[in-house]
Amino acid sequence: MTMTEPVTVVGAGVDRVEGPHKVSGTAAYPSDVSYPGMAYAALVRSTVASGRIAVLDTTAAEAMPGVLTVITHRDAARLAAGPTTSIGPAPPPPMQDDLIRHHGQYVAVVVAQTRQQAATAARAVTVSYRAEPTAALDDTELRVDPFGTDVTRGDTAAALATAEVVHEATYRTAENTNNPLGLFTTVAVWAGDTVTVHDSTQWTSNTRATVAAVFGLPEEAVRVYAKYVGGGFGAGLRVWPHVLLAVLAARTVGRPVTLTLTRPEMFTGVGHRPDTVQRLRIGARRDGTIIAIDHEATQTVAVADENTEPVAAASATAYACPNVTARDRQRRRHIPCPGSMRAPGEAQANFALESALDELAYKLGMDPLELRLRNDAEVHPESGLPWSSKALRDCYAVGARRFGWSRRDPRIGAMRDGRWRVGFGVAGVSYPWWQVPCRARATVSRDGTAYVRSAATDIGTGTYTVMRQLSAELLGLRLDQVRFDLGDSRMPAAPQAGGSGLTGALGNAVYAACQALVRAVLDLVTTDTQSPLHGCTMDDVMVNGGRLHHRGDARRGESFAAILDRHGLYELTADGTSAPPDPQQIGMAPAGAFAAKFVEVHVDPDLGLVRVPRVVSAVDGGRILNEKLARSQVVGGTVGGIGQALLEETVTDPDTGRIANATLGDYLIPVNADIGEVDVVFVGGPDRTTPIGTKGIGEVGLPGIAAAIANGVYHATGTRIRSLPITLDQLL
Amino acid sequence: MDRDDGGTPTGPTATEAALTVNGIAHHLRLDARVTLLDALRDEIGLVGTKKGCDQGACGACTVLVDGRRVLSCLTLAAQCDGREVTTVEGLADGGRPHPMQEAFVRHDAFQCGFCTPGQIMSAVALLRERRAASDDEIREFMSGNLCRCGAYPNIVAAIREVAGQGVG
Repeated sequence: MTMTEPVTVVGAGVDRVEGPHKVSGTAAYPSDVSYPGMAYAALVRSTVASGRIAVLDTTAAEAMPGVLTVITHRDAARLAAGPTTSIGPAPPPPMQDDLIRHHGQYVAVVVAQTRQQAATAARAVTVSYRAEPTAALDDTELRVDPFGTDVTRGDTAAALATAEVVHEATYRTAENTNNPLGLFTTVAVWAGDTVTVHDSTQWTSNTRATVAAVFGLPEEAVRVYAKYVGGGFGAGLRVWPHVLLAVLAARTVGRPVTLTLTRPEMFTGVGHRPDTVQRLRIGARRDGTIIAIDHEATQTVAVADENTEPVAAASATAYACPNVTARDRQRRRHIPCPGSMRAPGEAQANFALESALDELAYKLGMDPLELRLRNDAEVHPESGLPWSSKALRDCYAVGARRFGWSRRDPRIGAMRDGRWRVGFGVAGVSYPWWQVPCRARATVSRDGTAYVRSAATDIGTGTYTVMRQLSAELLGLRLDQVRFDLGDSRMPAAPQAGGSGLTGALGNAVYAACQALVRAVLDLVTTDTQSPLHGCTMDDVMVNGGRLHHRGDARRGESFAAILDRHGLYELTADGTSAPPDPQQIGMAPAGAFAAKFVEVHVDPDLGLVRVPRVVSAVDGGRILNEKLARSQVVGGTVGGIGQALLEETVTDPDTGRIANATLGDYLIPVNADIGEVDVVFVGGPDRTTPIGTKGIGEVGLPGIAAAIANGVYHATGTRIRSLPITLDQLL
Repeated sequence: MDRDDGGTPTGPTATEAALTVNGIAHHLRLDARVTLLDALRDEIGLVGTKKGCDQGACGACTVLVDGRRVLSCLTLAAQCDGREVTTVEGLADGGRPHPMQEAFVRHDAFQCGFCTPGQIMSAVALLRERRAASDDEIREFMSGNLCRCGAYPNIVAAIREVAGQGVG
């Protein structure tokens, strides 16, 4: 069987299918879920970064009106560790001892009849600490190659020694906080030895597995819903301590409990992008051929936790370069646990590498775009295998044309717009490929409609929409004949909405499920002498218009409905799975997305203000399932990149470990007026790795923006900023 | 503050407020600390209005009070005694969505959708304030509504389209 020939459903700019719910206020996020008799939980957090709890007095809080219980480490149940996942170990379970590892660690949870009573009582819990000396924010441990991803290729030292031109510099990126607008919420409802959890998660299957492991339950006893999630950007990839505390609180009070984090708690409790210090050395020949890259990145990590975030490793596959060393280091600090944030690792690494390339271009007297083209990796630099798809050259060509790169005056500070100095900046992105297994299930009913589902989540990425489109195409049905559902851990297990991996993993599982379903329908008719499809094999048939018919003769076929009806079936169901391919087996290096980013930067010479009136992103995202929604993804990543470049910095007080700007009034993210014209164009074609031909595009929109802005700032002013965010004080 | 068995607040911090929400009169007996946002969500059950910060910094909780946009997290419910409140649930005309709601879907002016009710309430007010004459003006006067998914260009496009239709 092949897919339907006229591709009409996929690719089309179909409106977001859940859109009407979101604009009318009827989409129920976890914080909108309520149960009769539901109680409210509030958290008490530590006010030191390191030490032990000396006094923890809950008497006053317990006596306050409406308070049902106050749980501390003294009476919290012993909780088992959650399972290790594809992104590393679970965070340590909460409130198991009196040890404080970071400022903002949970030390008590208050449960009361109302939200106001819980919040007020939480403030009445008295805690004092035997704090460690303040200098103890830094732990002594420096972890070497913590992810096992370090790369040594060729002889970098020798190549640098003989290089005609060497650029060496250190780049820094600030800690950033994900800050999805939806305050993370967990609602937990026990019934006997089973528990239902509504959670702000990007991964229902993992929340289920973790709650089951921590509370000693079989997985079937835990059901996790995440129908709507108010954004994640990586914050919902791990099962954070508050989730477990909500489940524990509900068991303790014997009532449904809802726990919504406050915005300040969102800075300490659901991860952040770790800061980095990166040393880059690049050696090149006079003609611009890069012969050596040495990239060492040191990031921070919390005490007693892990965060899988390779940074430097990406530099090993970004350019054709025979001699590479890429090394990652982690320095432990008494800080809240980091976690993934949109384009984890890549967001930081790309700023360093693509800034360094720009600096090298000036040293060589080359156009920065030309330097990138000269060093384009035509095959995968580590394995030597051909890419499964790569249209990065087209990204540069198409992006440059749309942007008007040829209008760039190469001289520093030569371009003006009134009093503003104007700079053009460019950066390239080679996003790593990542995929994990996924399952999906497809059902066709006697009324001719289909229902396809998986335990995946849609955090705003468009999964509901594109999977419905894909299912409709694969089953030869109209969009309105297909329902796609997700966000329920009882559905077939799905991986996280993260790592730009879900659309590929889920899409191929949906492909497999729909294929298996068509095969199951064909199995009914191929031995059925009454059927016009008698004797047909999968190669003989195709689906279209709700019918299975012979490829050579559309009249020779019948509808799903007729087939089920004649066989006395109400419905027919089939499962599908997808698994990442083995590159050696397929003889290709599976490619992630590629992109070229072009920005126009305006700098006020007197005030140091930086504006970005125009961005062009040309993206090779493989096959695009829905151009309208895909564009939104890249626009959103661009906005995130502008935030990383110019605004976002989580500031930790070095003396106390307290985050000094843990509100949306103090931690700046882009507002509408910060964003100018954002142009997105998709180039390239379907990727050859998998049947559906997609490449993930959830993250490729962000990296490259910060470097392109820094490069534009240099072009405009001659000031090289090697530390994010680029703030006006650095330009005065 | 205690609640009696029926869940009604009693005691010294109890207060009362009579407010009209989306044309329906509500007589609430409230804990005086309850914000308009929490009253809408927890007392009246209108959860379309979202809490994104509870500190007046994100705009997700924007509603109209007597036709003006306000941050319902910084407004006490008791302050709205005698006032008319409009939330995202009150925008549709019968079964027909408000043109701004339709434009937001058409222009994909959201992703996760969490800030969307606040964006739409702000956008509707913006037209009434006659502050949608240009893209720059829309950007400026929509800057109190954060969108972390970064849908700003599409939000501007949606508002521009509705403003151009002269619908408010």
